[in-house]
Amino acid sequence: MSPTATAAAARVSFTSDENLAQNRDTYKHAYLIDTDPQPIEPFDKDWGVAISGNTPEPSPFERINKILAITAKTTNGFVAPDAAELVTQAYIEHSGEPALLKRAYAVAKVLDEAPLYIFPHELVVGCLCCDKKGAPVFPEFGFNWVVNEMRDGLMGYSEKRTHDYFTYTADTQERLEKLRDFWDGNTVEDMTRSMLTDDVIKGSHDGKGVFFADAYIFCGAGHLGLEFERLLTLGLGGIRDMITGYESKLSLSDPADIEKRAFYKAAGIVADAAQRHVNRYAELAEEMARGESDAVRAEELRQIAANCRWIATNPPRTFWEAIQLVNLAVDLVYVECNGHSVCYGRFDQYMYPFYRHDIETGASTREQMQELIENFFIKVWDLNKLRNHILIRTFGNGGIGGPALTVGGITKDGGDGTNELTFMALDAHAHIRIPCPWLAVRMHANTPWELKIKVANLIRMGTGEPKIFNDDVAIPSMLTSDVELRDARDYQVVGCVEPDPSGKAYGWKDCGHMNIARVLELAINDGRCYNCGQGCPRWERCGKVGQRLGLATGSLADFTSFDQVLEAYDKQMEYWCDRQLALLNTVDIVHRKMYPLPLLSTFMDGCIESGKDVTAGGAKYNFSGPQGVGIGTAGDGLATIKQLVFDEKRVTGRELLDAVTANWEGYESLYAYVNSDRVHHYGNDDDYADLLAKFAMDTWCKHVEHRPNAHGGFFQPGAYSVTVNVAHGQNQWASIDGRKAFEPVSDCMGAVHTKCCSHDVRGPLAICKSVTKLDHARATNGTLLNWKFSPGALAGDTGRDNFIALMEEYIHRKGMHSQFTVANQETLIAAQKDPDEYKDLLVRVAGYSAYFVELNRALQDDIIGRTSLSFD
Amino acid sequence: MLHTTPSGEPCGLVSNIQKYTIHDGPGIRTEVFFTGCPLRCLWCSNPETIAPYRRLGVYPDKCISLEKCGYCLSACPHGENSPLEFDGGGVLKAAPPSERCAGCTRCADECPSRALKLWGEQTTVPELMKIIAEDRNFYRRTGGGVTLSGGEVTLQWEFASMLLEACHKASINTCVESALHCAPEHMEAVYEHTDLVIADIKHMDTKKHREYTGAGNERILENLRRTVQLGMKLVIRTPVVFGFNGDDENIRRTAEFIRDELGGRIIQYQLLPYRKMGTEKYDSLGIPYPMGDYSPPERADWEARLLRLQDMLSDEYGLPAVAGSSKKLDIGG
Repeated sequence: MSPTATAAAARVSFTSDENLAQNRDTYKHAYLIDTDPQPIEPFDKDWGVAISGNTPEPSPFERINKILAITAKTTNGFVAPDAAELVTQAYIEHSGEPALLKRAYAVAKVLDEAPLYIFPHELVVGCLCCDKKGAPVFPEFGFNWVVNEMRDGLMGYSEKRTHDYFTYTADTQERLEKLRDFWDGNTVEDMTRSMLTDDVIKGSHDGKGVFFADAYIFCGAGHLGLEFERLLTLGLGGIRDMITGYESKLSLSDPADIEKRAFYKAAGIVADAAQRHVNRYAELAEEMARGESDAVRAEELRQIAANCRWIATNPPRTFWEAIQLVNLAVDLVYVECNGHSVCYGRFDQYMYPFYRHDIETGASTREQMQELIENFFIKVWDLNKLRNHILIRTFGNGGIGGPALTVGGITKDGGDGTNELTFMALDAHAHIRIPCPWLAVRMHANTPWELKIKVANLIRMGTGEPKIFNDDVAIPSMLTSDVELRDARDYQVVGCVEPDPSGKAYGWKDCGHMNIARVLELAINDGRCYNCGQGCPRWERCGKVGQRLGLATGSLADFTSFDQVLEAYDKQMEYWCDRQLALLNTVDIVHRKMYPLPLLSTFMDGCIESGKDVTAGGAKYNFSGPQGVGIGTAGDGLATIKQLVFDEKRVTGRELLDAVTANWEGYESLYAYVNSDRVHHYGNDDDYADLLAKFAMDTWCKHVEHRPNAHGGFFQPGAYSVTVNVAHGQNQWASIDGRKAFEPVSDCMGAVHTKCCSHDVRGPLAICKSVTKLDHARATNGTLLNWKFSPGALAGDTGRDNFIALMEEYIHRKGMHSQFTVANQETLIAAQKDPDEYKDLLVRVAGYSAYFVELNRALQDDIIGRTSLSFD
Repeated sequence: MLHTTPSGEPCGLVSNIQKYTIHDGPGIRTEVFFTGCPLRCLWCSNPETIAPYRRLGVYPDKCISLEKCGYCLSACPHGENSPLEFDGGGVLKAAPPSERCAGCTRCADECPSRALKLWGEQTTVPELMKIIAEDRNFYRRTGGGVTLSGGEVTLQWEFASMLLEACHKASINTCVESALHCAPEHMEAVYEHTDLVIADIKHMDTKKHREYTGAGNERILENLRRTVQLGMKLVIRTPVVFGFNGDDENIRRTAEFIRDELGGRIIQYQLLPYRKMGTEKYDSLGIPYPMGDYSPPERADWEARLLRLQDMLSDEYGLPAVAGSSKKLDIGG
């Protein structure tokens, strides 16, 4: 019998310390902890250590527990064909019109005609025009793969897709098949391909995987937030008036104004449709109220209708109306943009006036607002997104992806912004224990002690939420990207990792990744892969005919000084950054030509004012943010070369190259030595290696930062992998740092852990110091360090307070961003073996939390392999 | 016993330096484990610290085999007649080298995979202070510092005093974890620069004490009285091994001693659970685990018993008793 099944009956009052003592596998006994949820929790509420999601009925609100009971704890879903059909019809009806207007009519048609749902018990409504966990299809980006995967059995469950699979009816498949001819050759994917050369593709996801740049080919714009403050102040009607106002000032004949007129026309079409769409919810709620036999529920539905009716035009007055508008606005944007990581901004800041209003007027109580927040959070988990099976494998996990919600931090004026809602949002997570939204807490030198306690207790619970962001480095970092001080202070975290001026930036965050460890391979092997040979699909036109994948930068076998290694790495990096940026800018241009986003433009600062769509550079700030992956792997590789070849002369460059080419076979003692603590390794507070990791990262940043992008801004380098370190490793032969072929490269800013052993052996304080030797502020697209603690290290007051001290020091040292896994190795391994018993086990992946049993095996192994920081 | 380096500098014999320890004294600490101990507690989880000299640990799991490596034999002055033992596959056996080994440790220096590990290194005060000072920010944030442990600190009392003094000069909080089975003057010398003492009362019955630790408890109890007289801040621990010292009678006698003879002037009385730990270290040293036959009660069972003892101690004796060591220590300024 599963623990949760017996829990209600067997619940006894165990403290978290006692729970830890019960068993090494604390998770299994977690349900025994009586968490006694309260509508308003004390700031130091202790939810237990490493109990993750294994608690039945976690919320103090009966309604929330009922909603949880009908909400699947999975990112699997089903395919919803309605929007695809409506979009196709609109494109046929408006075939001669500019892309901007075609898009506007298509979005309007979906908002007007696609089915709507209001789910049982809920007080906040909204959906993606389909049922819970449904995913609409966006044929404009690429459509053949959707139909092909259905034909080939790659959309549903199969050996090639063991998680994040989608069901579909025969009717759905038939309806989508009918659209195929219309879209064939007319998608973002098709146009992008037509504009690329082999020189650009050869190193990409479609070639040898030195870099990936496919996120925005198959998906729309994401990793951004709306200007919620403006939306809540003006309301949808006010925004519509703004469009009309700007439009009325245009000259008739000025060519620039003629272009703007098209934008305003499109913006007007979608803004009107948005208002009608919200009114459709009001009508649906009224209709449901009439048929509702339960008088209490009928009254709730009537209030939902009244809320929607009001906010369809007017600015919200109450907390309930405001949270309803926030939820619907994001859903509207998803319907348009095919994005992921459309984020909820600084929730505790923009909602606070409504909180004050309700408390002062008695419109609602704190308890009622807490319930609304919890309901709203579950709404985010209802959303889903269709991805192809290759992307699913690359990322290891799916779902809507990236719905971050930020609390805490410095206000625009420079004070601390912590308020009651900061705490309520964190309590809401503890009360629902699902991995949405992705919570980010901003901290800084003056963060209140009470908030640190709340955050530490939540992290100890072990669901992986929240992440901690550091204002004291994120804000100065933004200033280097020419963001104004007040906007920089008002940043939100989007997606997994990226700081973003809330509602003011079209940031193209996470648009690609560069495997900088792979760049090192090509740098020291004269531009060739170690495993160059007949097995390679490019062999006939590359190695066989004397060509090479990269730039000829010399061979480690011939280098006579370490400076030559560094120089080769620098040149090789420039070569690959040129190609990655070429691909990204191509996709960017195609988005502008084929996929303008008029509705998103109305919700972002700058577009209405400038009369330009976001894809054309209308937003106040415009960035593109690819990431460097494999910092530790590259750093340890450089340190190994410097120490063994040049400083100690223990081996020759030739021998090292031979060893990795042989995948270390026949070089077992060298393999052991390279992996041992005798070689300088990043992550041990050892300048020798740490400064080389810094060089590896800085070189990446140097060749990316401030280079122009195609929507009027520039590139921002990031320094993290999220989960793609696994996929990049699968594209890479062995490496000098002691990694064997196809193992993951190092994750985010973390140290190397190979199958042989972990390279960071001096504990959390050394990691804290090593990682903060890297220049986090320079990674303007964000950084991330994943910490993994065994539960015992965080138990009791001692564990909590020393953990807080560790975080304080990380912040003090200008580390930008931390995320936490708190679980026993034993628990994770047990969950792999017996997934059914661990369905509620939430873990931190990187950038987000997920149900462990829903991750692919390679990613599970990578998480298990992360160095566990424990005192015992 | 004061060791000296080949160049004549005073040094200590140290088995291990552990960073981010949070259970042996307040805050985040760096813990220095001294080599050598006069007691032979059967439950000891640090067997590498018992002998007062350098020891070679052998970890067969990490050995790559003679065929693929062989660095240890090449380094060994005995060559083919090396005292190291190998199994049929050329993998190191989990056994200490025979008496022919002169202890040069060249094999451990050369072993690429760390299958041979040296326990006990001669370390000077400046060398230790460099490592200790690395985490100074963390000590200041948490009220942490340095804890000397072992092995037995007072066995190397001269070196310990020097190290503690150096810590104090660097404004680093100091804590000494000792069995106090030592000459009082050595103890007092160590105390000169000690901020907190952590000491065990393993059993109140000296016969039993001798049976399980190799020595009686008279000296220890006397040193505890003296410690309190000197006004030292003191944490007392009992490693509770049910079947040996976890019975009510012994715990009550311990409580009476603390209340009556120490005047209750302690910061905490910690009841620590016995855990079967360090077995892999015993294996690496070729020493059989002394409590191999002992089967402790089920975890939930002993946890409940510890909690009951804790309540008994605080309710009936008014002692600041805690089960485990994760309750914060408040040692004031």
